[in-house]
Amino acid sequence: MTSVYIPEMARLVGVEQMTATEKLFTIELPNGRSLGHDPGQFVMASVMGVGEAPVSVSSSPSRSNGVFELCVRQVGDVTNALHGMEPGGWIGVRGPFGNGFPVEKMRGKDLLFAPGGLGLAPLRSLINQVLDERGAFGRVIILCGARRPQELLFRDEVDEWVARDDVECLVTVDRGDDTWDGHVGVITTLFHQISVNPRNTVAATVGPPIMYRFVLMELLGKGIPESQIYLSLERRMRCGVGKCGHCQIHDLCCCQEGPVLTYAQSKGVEEAL
Amino acid sequence: MSLMVLNKGAVGPLIEALMADYRVVGPQAKGPQFAFGTLTDPAQMRLDYNTTILPPKKVLQPQQERLASYSLGGKPSVEQIIEATPTVLFGIHTCDLHAVQLLDKAFSEEYPDAHYLARRDQTILVSLECLEPCDEHSFCKSMGTLTAGEGYDLHLTDLGLAYAVDVATEAGAQILSDYGSASEAGDGDVRRLNDVLGAKWPRFTYRLEFDAAELPALLSTAYDHPLWQELGDRCLACGSCTNVCPTCYCFNVYDETNMALTEGERVRRWDSCQLDEFARVAGGENFREARAARQRHRFMRKGRYIFEKFGELGCVGCGRCIRACVADINIVDGFNAIQRSA
Amino acid sequence: MSETPSNGRPKIAFFDFASCEGCQLTVVDSLQTHLDLLNAVEIVQFREAMTEKGEDYQIAFIEGSCTREADEARLLEIREQADVVVALGACAHLGGVNALKNLHPLEDTRRWVYGDKADWYGTYEARPIGAVIEVDLAIPGCPIDREEFVRVVKAVLIGKTPPIPDYPVCVECKLKENVCLFDIGKFCLGPVVRAGCDAICPTYGDGCEGCRGFIPHPNQNAMKDVLAKAGLTVEEVMSRMTMFNTYQLQEQLVEEEGR
Repeated sequence: MTSVYIPEMARLVGVEQMTATEKLFTIELPNGRSLGHDPGQFVMASVMGVGEAPVSVSSSPSRSNGVFELCVRQVGDVTNALHGMEPGGWIGVRGPFGNGFPVEKMRGKDLLFAPGGLGLAPLRSLINQVLDERGAFGRVIILCGARRPQELLFRDEVDEWVARDDVECLVTVDRGDDTWDGHVGVITTLFHQISVNPRNTVAATVGPPIMYRFVLMELLGKGIPESQIYLSLERRMRCGVGKCGHCQIHDLCCCQEGPVLTYAQSKGVEEAL
Repeated sequence: MSLMVLNKGAVGPLIEALMADYRVVGPQAKGPQFAFGTLTDPAQMRLDYNTTILPPKKVLQPQQERLASYSLGGKPSVEQIIEATPTVLFGIHTCDLHAVQLLDKAFSEEYPDAHYLARRDQTILVSLECLEPCDEHSFCKSMGTLTAGEGYDLHLTDLGLAYAVDVATEAGAQILSDYGSASEAGDGDVRRLNDVLGAKWPRFTYRLEFDAAELPALLSTAYDHPLWQELGDRCLACGSCTNVCPTCYCFNVYDETNMALTEGERVRRWDSCQLDEFARVAGGENFREARAARQRHRFMRKGRYIFEKFGELGCVGCGRCIRACVADINIVDGFNAIQRSA
Repeated sequence: MSETPSNGRPKIAFFDFASCEGCQLTVVDSLQTHLDLLNAVEIVQFREAMTEKGEDYQIAFIEGSCTREADEARLLEIREQADVVVALGACAHLGGVNALKNLHPLEDTRRWVYGDKADWYGTYEARPIGAVIEVDLAIPGCPIDREEFVRVVKAVLIGKTPPIPDYPVCVECKLKENVCLFDIGKFCLGPVVRAGCDAICPTYGDGCEGCRGFIPHPNQNAMKDVLAKAGLTVEEVMSRMTMFNTYQLQEQLVEEEGR
C-alpha cells in the first residue's frame, strides 16, 4: 500500500515576489498532470529536510494549464525555506485535501466575496473560476481589503476586476500612503457601499481571525442567511487526512469537513472563530 | 470458530516456539508496575499483570516511527518506510482490545494509513479475559469493555489449571496448532468457563452513575460547564493523560537530516492536545490556549466526538489517565459531575 | 558583522562566564562522536579545547551567567561581532544555580565566598546572559544534552527553528514508559519543566529539578499543590522550584507586584 504521507516531488517553475512577505509559486506536477482541485482546497507542501505545511491553492481549476499556484506568506520554517527556493527547485506535494467552496450551490446566485489580506489567496481561486464561467452566476461583488497598499495581493488582477463591467469590485486599505488614491478604512467600511438581495446571495469570506468577527456581522446585517455565508479556517494540519488531530475544532476535523465551513456550522464554536 | 483448552504449563512452550518466528510482545514487570515489551524469555511474561503504563497501542502506533527517507540535493527522491514485523501481541486485556478496534477504524477511514495498517496486518492478537478489576480506577464495566466478543485471534480465559482458548480466526487457529499443544474443550471445560465468567461479573462495579450511551448527548450541552475551568486550574498540561490513553492517536511530523544535508527522514511522534502548542497555527494564534479548553477537548473527544465519527465511544474505561494524573484529574468523576448537574 | 567565510563553513566561538564549564565539556564530548559537525563548522575560539583565539566568528556559544558588571562589556563585544548568539546551558539560559545567591543579601554572599577579601571582588546579582544582551536562542540544561547540541547546530546551519521542545519532561518520560516517580513516593518537577533531555533524571530515578527552565505558561500553583500533597513542606517546594529558576521566579514576582 502506498502511504498517503509520501509527497510527490513537483517542479517549481515560477516564483514571483508579491509583497515584502508573500511570494507566488507556480508548480508543475509530473507528466503535466493537473492537480484536480476545487477552489478552497489546500495541499500539503514540503521542503524536504525542513518539513511540511498546509497551503491553500491560489490558482483556479479553470486555468490549470498543467500548473497550480500557491501564494505563501513567510511565517515559519517551511515557508521560509520555500521563500528561499528558485525556479527549477523541487517541492513535495500531497493533496489536494479538504472540502473547498461549493461552486455548484453558487450557480445562479449573486455572489459576494470578501477577502482580507492573505485571504485573497484561496478566494482568488474561486473568483477566477466564477469569472471564467461568468454567465452561470448572478452579480459578482468583491470587497477586498488589505492593511496597507503594498500588502495588497494580486494587484493586477484586482485592478482588472475593478475595471470589469460585470464585476462590482471595491478595494480598501486600512492605512493609505502617497501611492494610494483609493478608499481608506477597514474592510467593513465597504459594506455600506453595496446593497444585495440577501436570499439570493451567497457570500464567501477569508481573512485573519479578527476580520471574521466584523465581516460576519456585516454579512448577517445584510440579511444573508447563515447557511449561505462561507468562510475558510486556517489550521496547522500535520497530516491533511483526518488523523493527526491538530486541526480539530470541537467535533469538526478541519482538513476533512473544512477548511471551508458555513457560518451556520461555525457560529458558537469558540475554537473556530 | 472453536473452543480449545491450553494447559498453563503449555503457555511457556507456546511462547518459546512463537519467538522463533515472531516478535512476541507481552506484559512484563517494570519496577512495581507493568509494561508491554518484546519477550526474550517466556518467563518474562506476567499474565497476572493488572494494567500497563502505556497501552499496547504502542505496538501498532509506536511512540516514534519513520514514515519516509529521502535524499537531498537536486531532485529529492523519497522512499516510503513501513516499519512492520510479524508480531504476536499476547495477553492484552479486553479494554485495550476494544481500543485497538477503534484505532483500526481511525486508521482505515477515508485515507487509510499504510504504516499502521501494515503493522496491524502482521499482528496476531491474543487477548485475555480479566477476572478481577485492575484496581479502583478501572471502569471497564461502565464502558462495556470488561469482555469482548470479537477483535481477537485468540482469547484466553483463566480456568485455574488451564486457559480456555476461544479461537476466532484462521491465523489464531494456525499459531495454536503449529506452535502450541491445545486440545478441544470438553463439556467440563465449558461448564467451568461459564462458572468463571459468571463469577467475574459481580467483582466489577459500575463507576459511571449513568449509562455511558448517554455521554454524547450529555456532553453536547456541556460546553459551558464550570467543570472545565476547575480542571484547567488543576491541570499541569503535562500530556500524560493522552499519552497513556489507548484510544488517543494524535501525532506530529518532523523532518530530520544528517549534518551534511545529503539525506533525511520524515518521522512522526505521538502528540497531545493537552500541550500548549498543539493548536497553534503558523500566524502564532492558538485556538485552544486555555488549559480548561484543552481538558474539555479531551473529555469531548472521549465521550462524544469519536462516537460521532466512528459510532463508538472514545473511552474504554481502562483508567490509565486517572492513574497517570499527578493532579488527580479523574474522568469518571468529571463525567459524573456533568451528569449530576444536567 | 563578519564576512561569510570563504570555505563556506561558518566560524563559531565559545565563551564562558560564571559556570563550571561542564557544558563546554559536553560540547567537546559531542564533537568527538560527531566528526561531521567539525566538518560543518570552523571553530575559531574555544578556550576549553584549543589555544588559538580568533575574533572573527558568526556564531557565539556562551556558557555561564553574568555575575559581575565588569563582564557586561565583554558580552556586548560578543553580541556586536556574532550574527547568532547562543546561550549554552542553564547558567547562561536561566541564571541557573548561580542565581541562588540572589536569595541572599549581596554583601553576605560576597563575604561567604571571599571572606576578608570581599572588597577586592566586584559582584552583583547573577543573571542569564539574555538579561544583558539579546540572545537568539538557548540550549537548555545542566549540563546541555549532547545530542540536542548537535540538533541545534544543525538547525542553525540550515536556518530552521532549533527543535527545543515547548512541552514538559513528562512527555518524554511517558513515551519511555518510565514508572512515574510520584507513584513511588518521590518528587519531580517534570510536569512543568521543558523537555529535550529525554527525561534523563527521572529515567534514573531522580526527580526533575528544572534545569531546562519552565515550559511556556506553566501551571506553577498546581505544581506546588501536587508537591505539597505528595508531602513536601512549603520550604521544600520552594527550594525545588528555585534550584535552577530563582532568577525567573524573582522576575515573575516583580512583574506580579507591578501589576
